[in-house]
Amino acid sequence: MKSLKLLSVDPSDRGSQRCRLGPGLMAELGLSLGSPLLVTVPGGSCLCTAWPRSDLSEGFLQIDLKCSSPSLISHPPTHLNLDPEQLKPVPCLKLKGVKITVVVQSLDFKKRAPLRLVHELVKDMLKGVYVHEKYVINLEDFDTEIRFVVIEMINMDSATAGLITSKTGVEIAGIQTVRHYMRQLQDQHTAVLGGLDEVSASLKEMLELPLLYPGTLSSVGVSCPRGVLLVGPPGVGKTLLVHRVAGEVGASLVVVRGPEVVGSRPGESEESLRAVFEQARAAAEEGPCVLFLDELDSLCPRRTGSSAPENRLVAQLLTLMDGMNQSDRFLIVGATNRPDSLDPALRRPGRFDREVFIGVPTLQQRKAILSVLCMRMPVCPSVNLAELAQKTTGYVGADLSALCREAAMHAIQENSKGSGNQAVDMKHFQKALKSVRPSCLRSSLGRTDLSPVSWDQIGGLEEVKLKLRQSIEWPMRYPEAFVRLGLRRPRGVLLYGPPGCAKTTLVRAAATSSHCAFLSVSGADLYSPYVGDSEKALAQLFRQARACSPCILFLDEIDSLIGSRSNSQTPNSVQTRLLSVLLNEMDGVGLKMLERRGTEKILQAEGAEENRTQEQLECQEVCNKDVMVVAATNRPDCLDSALLRPGRLDQIMYVPPPDQQSRLAILKVCTTLMPVDADVCLEELVAKTEFYSGADLENLCKEAALLALQEENMEPSSIKHTYFIRSLSKMSPSLSARQIQTYQTLSR
Amino acid sequence: MSKPASSALHQALRKSFQTLENNHKVWKDVLDECSPLIVSLGNLAEQSRALSNVQLSNTPLRIFPDLEERLRFKLLQATDTVLGKLNEKMSSLQSVRDTFSNQVSAVSQLYEQNTSSLDLLTVTERSATFPSVADMLEWLQDAERHFRQQFLRRKTLLQLLTADNLSLLESAPERWKSLESPSAEENIADTLCKVSFFMEAQ
Repeated sequence: MKSLKLLSVDPSDRGSQRCRLGPGLMAELGLSLGSPLLVTVPGGSCLCTAWPRSDLSEGFLQIDLKCSSPSLISHPPTHLNLDPEQLKPVPCLKLKGVKITVVVQSLDFKKRAPLRLVHELVKDMLKGVYVHEKYVINLEDFDTEIRFVVIEMINMDSATAGLITSKTGVEIAGIQTVRHYMRQLQDQHTAVLGGLDEVSASLKEMLELPLLYPGTLSSVGVSCPRGVLLVGPPGVGKTLLVHRVAGEVGASLVVVRGPEVVGSRPGESEESLRAVFEQARAAAEEGPCVLFLDELDSLCPRRTGSSAPENRLVAQLLTLMDGMNQSDRFLIVGATNRPDSLDPALRRPGRFDREVFIGVPTLQQRKAILSVLCMRMPVCPSVNLAELAQKTTGYVGADLSALCREAAMHAIQENSKGSGNQAVDMKHFQKALKSVRPSCLRSSLGRTDLSPVSWDQIGGLEEVKLKLRQSIEWPMRYPEAFVRLGLRRPRGVLLYGPPGCAKTTLVRAAATSSHCAFLSVSGADLYSPYVGDSEKALAQLFRQARACSPCILFLDEIDSLIGSRSNSQTPNSVQTRLLSVLLNEMDGVGLKMLERRGTEKILQAEGAEENRTQEQLECQEVCNKDVMVVAATNRPDCLDSALLRPGRLDQIMYVPPPDQQSRLAILKVCTTLMPVDADVCLEELVAKTEFYSGADLENLCKEAALLALQEENMEPSSIKHTYFIRSLSKMSPSLSARQIQTYQTLSR
Repeated sequence: MSKPASSALHQALRKSFQTLENNHKVWKDVLDECSPLIVSLGNLAEQSRALSNVQLSNTPLRIFPDLEERLRFKLLQATDTVLGKLNEKMSSLQSVRDTFSNQVSAVSQLYEQNTSSLDLLTVTERSATFPSVADMLEWLQDAERHFRQQFLRRKTLLQLLTADNLSLLESAPERWKSLESPSAEENIADTLCKVSFFMEAQ
């Protein structure tokens, strides 16, 4: 059969419930004038009466959407081609009764019009209309306040459609406004949210409790909490959470964005704030309602002494929140990432009763978020979300969604090159991980882009390497073993030793092998001409490091960075103040409230198989929630003794100058990329290079290579032994026996 | 195709159009009678507003005792009377609508009973002088819908009017006027012209 072209409805047919089609098709479907017909279009269907087109032409279809499924109201079908099979005659009998919900234009009408009148009008309007269960009748053509009628139920045994006559009983189940109804329609498809179950449950409870048990609450004589303050770093999903919860509960959402409210003239801002509260109050009369104040810190900053215009706005908000009485059943949710800059008067029970901290997601939460994000992406089964979650320390929800987007982009790019595979693979995620960094580290001081160094690239020093791996890598790899033995990873590691003995390189290798966030600071980052600025910067650094823990914080040349209290000439210098900050941050009383992460609740594992990985993940979190400080110095005697006690820098490692074997290993590493002549005897070089540090040995190789270039006119095929010997004769070791002696006495 | 069914339907259609013509006249007459009433309603509202705005004690009229209450009572009484009259008019409109609705549904029913004998070719057959049955049924339904719409709109407007809501009363004449739809009235007139040959062929 030929397909039908769907045209827009003729103006004169509006409200007639007619479906215009060619007489040939009508005869084919066995329809007579005005027979009920169910038309299915993409996105919904509608019930109408068949009628021949006035020009009697075939191949076109015009539908008046008087009775259609709810989804068609907001998105009416246009310009489609329909298959004639999508038209189906339905038998419609006269109905005995229907149960309906009336949707009216304004709240004012809902309040003013008596139910009797609404009933009378609706009954008149519905007369002669074919209705279908769960469909919506559009009454806009009557041009009255009554806009839609939702058919909740029809009194008929088997049929789902029927005709309303003057004898049909009409029962009104409820009256809603158009805004409320439309919002309900929209809310049915909102974004899902991962990892915030507990917070959303508590929000939901606050919204639903007064609605479900109004009697209980009043009999106990308490008022329900009405204010929640959501606090958390940017990107953790505060705004999304509120939208989501409001959608789930079916609450209407009134959103206030700070800058929208603030006006230029005096008094204007307060007025608009009052208007917003009025709006929320009106919406609350129809059902649960949430008034959402996003970015509350900009709307309500700490009041200052002068008569700044913000003070009045803050005062207005305070009085409005206090002025809410029991009958105003709406919930105020504020969201901010800078709770300290809020006015303290706001943060008391009666205004914001509860404060909910949403921290940077923990490993478990990241896994939940990732699984939610990957739900709609074609992801390869090989992608291990737990592993991905482990690698994304410090990523907030926004970062994770950026990561997934980036990975998908990589996959698309690859597909366009021709390998028809649509799925997103682990390697795409790996690529994306390189370009998407955690946003909490974006503005951080010590964020470094380090080139990866593997343990093999460091010659010798096996003992130090092992110890470093013990304290950094093991807690990440074998968390359950650590928990079983009651072990805790060390808070800090101090590497000391003569200069040039690969202390910094060791740290780089450690950072590479564990997938931690890595922050490195030097004096240049911290020092500032303003008093107190350096300390603030250091404290901020620790805060950021904790936000994305597990994290390695590397303080190179700690002796110059942080002084010692005992032998300092000026007792109140910047160094000593920095020292006190460092001591506090490393072993302080506790964390700030704002920095709390995750939730206390332990999720129930589902099966035995799951249990094992679950347990491991949990251990991991327990073990690795701290920041690990790694410091390096070549003057350990200058450090304050308080810093060196266990609990702060508890692992103190001596990085010795390379002995014979180490030197051999170092030389081997250094010469792997060089075309070395066969006659080169590394052992001989090793014997001649006592007191040479690793850096010296590297330099020696470089010098020898340069000499070779110089002697053989830029075209040497290999570096001969003589060049090594000649460059060695020009060099002197940077270490001395006495120096090593001092370190060795210190290490004992 | 059966002749008797078709001719019976034609007969019923003729009768319906006759009713439509009469009802349309009555409808227009009643609406014409309504408009001065509505205007006077707006006028009364204006007077009430003026009364609320003036401070009678500051005018020479203060010597009359209880003047404000008396005036207000008079105005309220007048408003009530006008509203009552309007309601009467509405009920005559309703009766017009009901008669016509019944007529239309009777025709539709007659058609439905005879669908077996009237195939689509017959009902869509038209000539230069005779419109097709489908067209005529459609016009009747359109006219019926127009009456229903008009009646409901006006009824809603009147039902929501109360003596104490002055602003609503004041705006009533304008809103009443805005409810008119000349195009639909024209359509009915057009319809009656289109069927004139059909009517005369009796």
